[in-house]
Amino acid sequence: VKGKVNSKAGVPLEGATVSVKGENISVITGAGGIFSLSVPQKGSILVVSYMGFVSMEQKVSGTGEMYFVLEEVATSLKDVVVVGYGTQKVTKVSGAISTLKSAEIEKLKPVRVEEALQGNVAGVNVIQSGSPGAKPTVLIRGIPDLGGTDPTVIVDGIQQTLSDLNSINPGDIESVTVLKDAATTAIYGVKGGNGVIVITTKSGRKNQKTELNLNSSYSVQEVISTIPVLNATEYGAILNEGSTLSGGNIVFQDLSGLGAGTNWQKQIFKKAPIQNHNISARGGSEKITYFISAGYLSQGGIVGGYDKSRFNRLNFTSNVSFDLSSKLKFIVNATYLNLNSKGVQENAFNSIIGSALNYDPTVPVYNTVPNTIGQYGFSSIITREIYNPLTKLANTYNRLIGHKLYGKFELQYEVIKNLKLTARLGYTKYDGNAKSFDPLVFWGLNNTGNTLNADGTTIAGFHNSVTHDKSTASQLIYEGFANYNFQLANGHDFDITAGINLNKGIGNAAGASRQDVPYNSWEFADFTAATGTTANNNTNGLRGSYYQYVNRHASGFARLNYDYQDKYLVSFTGRRDGSYAFGTENKFGNFYSGSVGWVVTNEDFFKVGFINNLKVRGSYGAVGSDNNLDPKKVLVTIQTDYLSSLYGSGNSIGYTFGNTFYPGATVASVANNALKWEKQNQWNAGFDAAFLNNQLNLSADYFEKRTDGLLFTPVASGYLGTIPPPIANIGSTKSSGIDITAGFNTTITKDLRFTSSITFTKATNMVIKTSEDSSWVTGGNYFNGQSQSVTIFAPGKAPAAYYGYKTNGLFQTWDEISKSPTQTGAQPGDIKFADINGDGKIDAADRTIIGNPFPDFTMGLSVGVTYKNFDLSAFTYASVGNDVYRAFERNDNYTNKYRAVLGRWTGPGSTNDADHPRYSFTDANNNSRVSDRYVEDGSFVKIKNILLGYTLPSTPITKLFRSLRVYAQVKNVFTFTKYAGYDPEIANTGLLDTGIDRGAYPQARSYTIGLDIKF
Amino acid sequence: CKKWVEYDPHDDFVITEIDYLKSEADYRALVVGVYSPLQWLNQVVPVSDIASDDAVSGGESAADVLSLQQIDDYTYYPVNATLADLWQVSYEGINRANYLHQYKEINLAGQTVNFAGKEALYGEVYFLRAWFYFTLVKMFGDVPLFTERRLTLSDSRKLARSSKAEVYKQIEQDLTAAIAVLPAVQSDKGRVTKYAAQALLGKVFLYQNKFTEAATMLENVITANAFALVSDFGSIFLQSGENGPESVFEIQYSNGQGTYDWNHVTRGQGNYAVQQCGIRGLNGSGNMPYASGWSTNLPTQNLARAFETGDQRKTVTILDIEAYKSANPSFNITYQAAPYKNTGLYNQKYLPRKGETSGQVELNYLNNYRTIRYADVLLMAAEANNRATAANDQKARTYLNLVRRRAFADQLHDITAGGTALYDAILNERRLELAMEGERFFDLVRTGRASTVLGALGFVAGKHEVFPIPQTEADGGLTQNNGY
Repeated sequence: VKGKVNSKAGVPLEGATVSVKGENISVITGAGGIFSLSVPQKGSILVVSYMGFVSMEQKVSGTGEMYFVLEEVATSLKDVVVVGYGTQKVTKVSGAISTLKSAEIEKLKPVRVEEALQGNVAGVNVIQSGSPGAKPTVLIRGIPDLGGTDPTVIVDGIQQTLSDLNSINPGDIESVTVLKDAATTAIYGVKGGNGVIVITTKSGRKNQKTELNLNSSYSVQEVISTIPVLNATEYGAILNEGSTLSGGNIVFQDLSGLGAGTNWQKQIFKKAPIQNHNISARGGSEKITYFISAGYLSQGGIVGGYDKSRFNRLNFTSNVSFDLSSKLKFIVNATYLNLNSKGVQENAFNSIIGSALNYDPTVPVYNTVPNTIGQYGFSSIITREIYNPLTKLANTYNRLIGHKLYGKFELQYEVIKNLKLTARLGYTKYDGNAKSFDPLVFWGLNNTGNTLNADGTTIAGFHNSVTHDKSTASQLIYEGFANYNFQLANGHDFDITAGINLNKGIGNAAGASRQDVPYNSWEFADFTAATGTTANNNTNGLRGSYYQYVNRHASGFARLNYDYQDKYLVSFTGRRDGSYAFGTENKFGNFYSGSVGWVVTNEDFFKVGFINNLKVRGSYGAVGSDNNLDPKKVLVTIQTDYLSSLYGSGNSIGYTFGNTFYPGATVASVANNALKWEKQNQWNAGFDAAFLNNQLNLSADYFEKRTDGLLFTPVASGYLGTIPPPIANIGSTKSSGIDITAGFNTTITKDLRFTSSITFTKATNMVIKTSEDSSWVTGGNYFNGQSQSVTIFAPGKAPAAYYGYKTNGLFQTWDEISKSPTQTGAQPGDIKFADINGDGKIDAADRTIIGNPFPDFTMGLSVGVTYKNFDLSAFTYASVGNDVYRAFERNDNYTNKYRAVLGRWTGPGSTNDADHPRYSFTDANNNSRVSDRYVEDGSFVKIKNILLGYTLPSTPITKLFRSLRVYAQVKNVFTFTKYAGYDPEIANTGLLDTGIDRGAYPQARSYTIGLDIKF
Repeated sequence: CKKWVEYDPHDDFVITEIDYLKSEADYRALVVGVYSPLQWLNQVVPVSDIASDDAVSGGESAADVLSLQQIDDYTYYPVNATLADLWQVSYEGINRANYLHQYKEINLAGQTVNFAGKEALYGEVYFLRAWFYFTLVKMFGDVPLFTERRLTLSDSRKLARSSKAEVYKQIEQDLTAAIAVLPAVQSDKGRVTKYAAQALLGKVFLYQNKFTEAATMLENVITANAFALVSDFGSIFLQSGENGPESVFEIQYSNGQGTYDWNHVTRGQGNYAVQQCGIRGLNGSGNMPYASGWSTNLPTQNLARAFETGDQRKTVTILDIEAYKSANPSFNITYQAAPYKNTGLYNQKYLPRKGETSGQVELNYLNNYRTIRYADVLLMAAEANNRATAANDQKARTYLNLVRRRAFADQLHDITAGGTALYDAILNERRLELAMEGERFFDLVRTGRASTVLGALGFVAGKHEVFPIPQTEADGGLTQNNGY
């Protein structure tokens, strides 16, 4: 039988399954929706099914071609979503969740799956980093606490972490469900406080003919823009001015020969490739289904190029399910990964980018000074801290190789109809092997950082060194739970889940470092080749370290879902969690939540033609967060190891009598036996609606949550000494916000389809209380001649807000200074700071909130058009109200400057803009203190992605394939922003570092061509 | 499930306090831990120098280490990172000493651990506690006083300040107890001896104007004949001069454990204050002895002028870089003039020298602080004898002239005056002999001369005699010092 499958809109459906009812015969439709298969006899029934369409049966009656026209189901209504310990029909969900399907992920071709969440899932804020493979900042519904803000990640039922998302090939993902409110996260109890990301990987279907997929793409990445700094001539002139104004000598006698000089940023940024190749197969028989995949990703970094900065990932996945009997099912998921990366120093004034921004532009790229080694030029005036970035890059040697195996063994037993018992053993095992090499370097004549002389000989007392670190971590999770659903007469539906979870993590790390690598070369950089030994005045000749940990959790959970005739929905969840890390007084905690929903459109009285679906929802409940507590916090410990006391808390021990060192001992910690989890109470109200024949979908939620017992380190009186005070449950925060998702999909003509979706996310956060004395934590540290910190976590203020002085123009005259509040050291041309507390003097008490790195709201707009064989999709992301703090300037007399200095104050009336104070080597007014001078509006609209695909029409050649699609894609196409730096989207390692631009690794623009083949 | 989530610290191989203090070795290790905060207090010396007329803050700019800049300009206020650290560190030392005191007789497990030398060991503990309280009382005046145990979190914000008199009384009591049990000689260099305790007690008496008691106490050290002035003044401050014949008590530093920890700069075995004194961008030939540093804590011209001609201490105390450069053309010296408050002069006694550091070079200079030198004891004894109820100017002159004869290498510069003139001469001698060793500011304050000498620099009488207590402590309920 030959035939064709079309959608009702007339679009050919390739990939639809055509099978013979009652026989083990099936085929998949190819390009153009065409199929052919042999049937055993006339009168057989063909069943055609395709995801998102209503299946259709038709009897084989004649010899002619058979046409199937499938009707699309309103996908948003019929879908089943994965929730904690089970699945649920979307129509019956009364909590707040969002789902992303594989099709949407594949459109973006992300390196990490979080990239696909950005702007596509309302309620989730993603701030990406440009560093290859780096973990982005992910906030689900605001900032509940100071420490761990990462959501919990569940992969196929097994708990992992956000960091682990570097080891999931986005191409293997079937769906991502984001659980947002207490009703949906409470089943994860103490792990639910920051929201939960539930990832389900692909699997095969029963009686599915093997489907082979091959995807391959190649990209080139480049830096989008550079930061404006002074060229050599401008630099020379400014240095002369700064020096002479402070009573010093002219630095550059003759500016005429300086020219433009070297633009160091152009030297360090390279074009870098991304390769991405995946092959996968899925299918199934009556008893076994499978999904297997292999993938290779290699992303080079634009800072220094592929040789110095990269992230490579090789993954093999095998998800297999066996029906051992009609009642017993056995599932094995296993993924092996090999991660291989290299990195450069980031995010500091003396990092690679920081050096490029601050280094002397009069220096030529290559060294021309006779009798000196070193390939690259050096400065005669910058002789410390900031080095030629190329020399730095050339002397950067490291690599990290990681091996990871994760997955699960799962038995599902159907005791009686609708009662299923599941036993699951999940595991994750990671082995990391890192090596780095610090060579001896000649940075330039008179450089204080030199470890080599100009002739290449070693300066006495210095050594190169190689460092090895091996770490291993494993997590074992045992879960047993039962799902039972039953219907009573008259439409009372019950769905009950109950179970237990036991969790154990162990890990250890061993490191060794050794000096004196032969030939000062990476080639011989290994412990075995190095020859260093420890001597009395050199403890670092040969060193080792070891660290181990163990953690254990135990939990019990239960959930009841009830609905009456799909109209009234009720759900209750409870979980009891115990953690080894909690104090003896609070080992266990209980978390409860409930939600209700009303499907208005299922009421008989509700007949509004253009509204196809309307559901209103509400939920309230409690979840927790244990913030990865360390159980040692609940003990008084004795420190006897000198080195760990020194490099750890700084509450050091040890003393040297004469030349003899005694390591010593001391009390190292204070106990807090009352330590427990943070508790969050959250309520949520929202609705889901569909209009215009399900073409338009709208979902909106409002939430408020309050965290109490926030883990916070109190500030103890100084007379208690230097033992760090133990963390305590003393703070509280409040967040509220709105998540909106709208989608509009329509078929305009037979050949032209249009899809779009828009998300809106807004979260407002406030710290209500920290410790008893309202102490605060500062962060966002940087150095610009002084050690500065710019962000705070303080009561009454938004978490991680910028805190510093407000500027109020510039002092024009001495007279103005004398009439203004007392400001020590000020002279005309200096910044006039605002006297916030009105006490007539400018001091630390005048600091106030000067910015916030988190956006007021974010939006994502995704648009797709398919016309005949072409498909075009575009994604735009907007972040509004986020501020950036400019912290990349070293601000030393001789370091290069941000171009704003060209507009400096030069005399009364020249400018009154606080961004342009007078420039002098001495700065008694401290113009470079933390102030709004450095705060910039980082709002942006980014065209993140444009992709154009073309599916080859059916030809003799393409007949070899089921389908063949080629595409071209541009990522980070354009950014509309006022920020003059590389990229206003700045994710750093900690919450309090967000938005601080110390020369952050920018996201690259990439150009990709790719190929998707289905066999 | 309950068992599953129980935590046994031995799972993590953690030693808890119940496991500890069960042997002599444990007690001895904890006592070493009481010495450590002595090293962390290295900023007391630059603070005292900079707060006096002997030195300025210097550094890269007016904003470089603001806490020291403000101390130089008398613009400091209760938020001052350096002062807050010195406060907290002194109390860490006190808490460590108290912890040993707390478990002296019976340990946490209820056992008594006896060993030979336990009493003498506790003499060191009580000396150190006195040292930390003395540091606090001379910097801050009235301070919280507690001696029975290590404080715990529940004591936070509960204490009040005790009067200077009470604190001094405790210091005297601790030192008297220490003197009774400490040996005259210790096999480890730098361990507290009986003489160190007597010298410190003498100084504590002087700070309270108890001149008669001071004289008696200091005579103990002098008559023991255990110390002598070395003839070459400069040799004292070389590595070879450490723990020499003139050393009564030295805070020990070494480069033997070279660390790299910028997060805890004063917490290693090295003396960080040495790096601060160095000349910026200093370069020269291989045999030029000095290493570069940060041009902080620069001696003033005022100090330089105070030395008489022929005083060998001048060039040992102050390095005039231009003079040194022209005197040693073979060194090919290049350097960067101090960018801020340049005086052209550097603190030669503690100038960083090549090869005397390791690890992160800025953090690990080996230079001991010559904290109590025999010359100091002689000058204190001179002062005490001059001011004692039964004054003995003859003795005072003898002690003073011992110091002067060494300085000038002759007897032509002997002081012959008596009474107030002699007193003035002794105080001037203290300034010159102990310049850049952290004594000047506290001497000016205790002798009531601070406002006369420092008034022109911004010192306000009735306020700047003590530093402000940290703002966090004022927030925690302690009364702030007058004027802050």
